Amino acid sequence: MEAFLQYDFLRNALIAGILIGFTAPVLGVFIVVRRLALLTDALSHITLTGIAFHLFLSQTLSVLTGLSPVYMGMIFAAAGSLFIEKLRTVYTAYQELAVPIILSSAIGLGVIFISLADGFNQDLFAYLFGSVIAVSKGDLGAVTGIAIFVTIVLILFYKQLLFIAFDENQARVSGIPVKSMNLLFIIMTALVIATSMQLVGILLVSSLMTLPVAAALQAAKSFRQMFVYSVIVGEASVLIGMISAFYLDVSSGGMIVLAALVLLLASMLYRKASGRAVFHPGRQKEAAVE
Amino acid sequence: MDLTFLERGIIAALCIGMIAPLLGTLLAVRRSSIIADSLSHVTLTGLSAGVLIGGTFEFLPVHPLYTGFAFSLAGSLFIEKLRQEYASFQELAAPIILSAGIGLSAVFMSLAPSGQNEWYDYLFGSIVSVGEGDLLFILVTFLVSVVLFIVFFKELVFVSFDQEGAAVSGIHMKTINFLFSFLTALVISMSMKVVGILLVGALIALPASAALQLAKSFRALVLWSIIIGEAAVISGVIGSYHLSLATGGSIVVSAALILGAVLLWKPLVRIFSRRNPL
Repeated sequence: MEAFLQYDFLRNALIAGILIGFTAPVLGVFIVVRRLALLTDALSHITLTGIAFHLFLSQTLSVLTGLSPVYMGMIFAAAGSLFIEKLRTVYTAYQELAVPIILSSAIGLGVIFISLADGFNQDLFAYLFGSVIAVSKGDLGAVTGIAIFVTIVLILFYKQLLFIAFDENQARVSGIPVKSMNLLFIIMTALVIATSMQLVGILLVSSLMTLPVAAALQAAKSFRQMFVYSVIVGEASVLIGMISAFYLDVSSGGMIVLAALVLLLASMLYRKASGRAVFHPGRQKEAAVE
Repeated sequence: MDLTFLERGIIAALCIGMIAPLLGTLLAVRRSSIIADSLSHVTLTGLSAGVLIGGTFEFLPVHPLYTGFAFSLAGSLFIEKLRQEYASFQELAAPIILSAGIGLSAVFMSLAPSGQNEWYDYLFGSIVSVGEGDLLFILVTFLVSVVLFIVFFKELVFVSFDQEGAAVSGIHMKTINFLFSFLTALVISMSMKVVGILLVGALIALPASAALQLAKSFRALVLWSIIIGEAAVISGVIGSYHLSLATGGSIVVSAALILGAVLLWKPLVRIFSRRNPL
């Protein structure tokens, strides 16, 4: 533990991890309730395309070399989220195809950019699987800024977002601007994914949004508890994962996900042992929204 | 057989260009295209475990392709189990397995002594890395899956369209569902040398999505997706050769371009047919 306080880069990573351990599961609750868990995977893969595009462009445009590729990733993720919404309307009979289409095209395009930029090296590995060394002061600033932004949005629009998550049509009828709220939400998700990527890696970001929530579903009795448990599981897995990865000298992103997975399995066993049913937020709808 | 590395790669690519879209149509109709993505990530876990075991215990003759296949088969059975666990959130099963698979592989990869370039071959595919043993694996799995498709085609299609109807008419659902998992695991593990783990899902999902826009019957759907799959594979391989790009990436991008063209084509046809009412 002392090493984390002693070295600057480890301290940055730890603070960033704690912030992400909060924002990712909180947004994850909304995502899981809206049945959009796979959307996070699609968005993270688009982020990779953006990063690859940045690497490719910065070969010719020297202006870009100083900038962090994360920003290009954010732009791509936000644009991709809008595109998914569009595709859903094309495949009305096969809506669930939208996510695999975007996910696969994004990663294919990403690979092309990477090979054009000759980028199959150490850096790419850090983007894919995360690296604690990769978190710089500037990155920490971006993570903090987005955590503050997410918290403010959630405090201001908690009721509206919750209402939409449970029943979009009802929300529209009662005068909530569903379209702009959805836009705000999806952009928020894209931003969180892009910033979390440095620490846990593109391939692992989505697990920080879904695994803690899946664990919370097993133990929670109300919607409020779902938030609390998700954040607890998220923070616990970030801390356990980062510290154990440091001492065992393995990938930090991988250990964070494994820690979340162990907590999920434990919560499943706990529920089985206590003989309760999995929490079903639908039943809490009226109570939560009133 | 004396084949150059390029010939081996092209034969492998043609096999995959046929079998992956074929599976894709069934998965699309079954509304479980995403299963392929989850399983491909689990295959990566198997691969990295295989490389790790092979690297640490040198006396064990472990081929990563086989451990990859074993893991992806186990993963597909596990997804079914998870679906029952989260009855009201069935769509959570795929992301949970996907995350678990990739998390474990990250840890295995950082433990294994192997260099990054080998991992990049598995992640993004590399047609030049298809060795003789790999080609044998691909040909055998290709034949096995073609035979399985021909023998069980009726059952597979029936189950995909109408689970309940199929169960009522006496088809043994457990066997057919297992067959689906087995075929998916097989196709993914044979594709990963050529297109790579992260891109297998694309070769399964994209041709079927484009074919869905064109086909008017199920037979046409299967035919169109195989044609589009082969077209994507061939143009991808040629394109990657001339532009020196990653093979897996260019195969997927050409599949995506075909899909884009099909999506644009449909509204155009509608506009023209509106202008010339017959």
